[in-house]
Amino acid sequence: MLKLLLYVWDNFRGYLVLILLVILSLTLLTQNNNPQVQKVRAVAFGSFASVTSVFYNLFNFTTLQNENEILRKTNAELMLQLSRLREQGILNAELKGLLGMKDTISLPLIPVTIVSKSLSLTQNTITIDEGSSKGIKPGMPVLSHKGLVGIIQSTSNDFSIARTLKNVDLKLTVKNERSRINGIMKWDGEKLIIIDVPKTYDFEIGDRIATSEISSIIPVPIPVGVVAKIEQAQTGILNLIQVIPFEEVLSVENVFVLQIVESDEKNNLELNFYNRQ
Amino acid sequence: MKLRYFIPVIIFFPVVLIQLTIVPLVSVQEVVPDLLLIAVVYFAISFGQIFGAFNGAAYGLVYDLISGSLIGSNMLSKTVAGFVAGYFSGETRRDQYLYTFSFCAVVFISGLIDATIFSFFSVIDFNTNILLVLFNHALLPSIYNTLISILVVLIPSKRTIE
Repeated sequence: MLKLLLYVWDNFRGYLVLILLVILSLTLLTQNNNPQVQKVRAVAFGSFASVTSVFYNLFNFTTLQNENEILRKTNAELMLQLSRLREQGILNAELKGLLGMKDTISLPLIPVTIVSKSLSLTQNTITIDEGSSKGIKPGMPVLSHKGLVGIIQSTSNDFSIARTLKNVDLKLTVKNERSRINGIMKWDGEKLIIIDVPKTYDFEIGDRIATSEISSIIPVPIPVGVVAKIEQAQTGILNLIQVIPFEEVLSVENVFVLQIVESDEKNNLELNFYNRQ
Repeated sequence: MKLRYFIPVIIFFPVVLIQLTIVPLVSVQEVVPDLLLIAVVYFAISFGQIFGAFNGAAYGLVYDLISGSLIGSNMLSKTVAGFVAGYFSGETRRDQYLYTFSFCAVVFISGLIDATIFSFFSVIDFNTNILLVLFNHALLPSIYNTLISILVVLIPSKRTIE
């Protein structure tokens, strides 16, 4: 038996090592949401990001950073205000005469700088220079003065990683600002698409797309992009709506984290409702 | 203990630093060269197949952790890429594949394998045109990697690593 094992090891050592490492990789792939794995990741990227932040600044050509930051913050606030005003305008037209909606949202913005970008065609992520010490939590939206950039994925004390819109793991509930139709938007590796939209739904090229209030991740309307193309899905009865994002991750350097947290009261209410079904 | 086996560890950090900070500046249509893969191929040819697989796994895992990718995805793809690149190792073949433009061909093959495996964990679903995915996600990045790997062949001081 020992001889056989030695024979196998001597002749197929390389393959055995390969199989072992492949099994290890596949095991890790299934453990991505494990809290301990997340903790290890937070320590790893937190430590490395402190180095990249120094290095990144050498290649950051924006010398007027402070002034830019203030201007960008103002822009982002105006963009959000404009977006809310647009929302309110449309709602007002629809609800005519009914009581006005209560504007209770105050939206705190945390200015942050991107310290590194991990670009790939499928899993774009950015690392920003603020973390849980500034109150940033996973799930908070990252935006620029043009629109949504991504969602915070994990945080360490001083740094955070955000999934950008061009990440296949990020799926968002969005809506057409004109027709008020909701849909699920995702990155398919090449383009941003709103999937499984019935052909009868009212989408037109040029329509503005924003995050939807029914989203459990971003319950405020933040501009995302415009409809660029309407394609027929392979199933024949559904359309794929191609969206061009307002913000390109490649060129953005300074962004904001919108400090919104999901409403526990709303979540509990919905959970109780489903539990009664 | 041969010190040269620690060289991949030392090389890793500057390579990742460049990958995350400078490489995005040279992206073409969001296709970027994968410097880690080039390093994995280089060390796999230098030190052999098993070392290549281990090195690919280690590089991939650490990169997954610090870049926010799906943990295990780069590890898996770079393990296989390192293993395949190790086929071109060996006392007689090493010089041939390491110091000539054959290195670029090995990078291309390994890059195709790396990107194909990585894509399977990212974009493949029922609506995907597999040929299109392979073209966009495997072939284009591999060509870019191959072009960058020419620099490795042209750097004259590389023999000092051996």
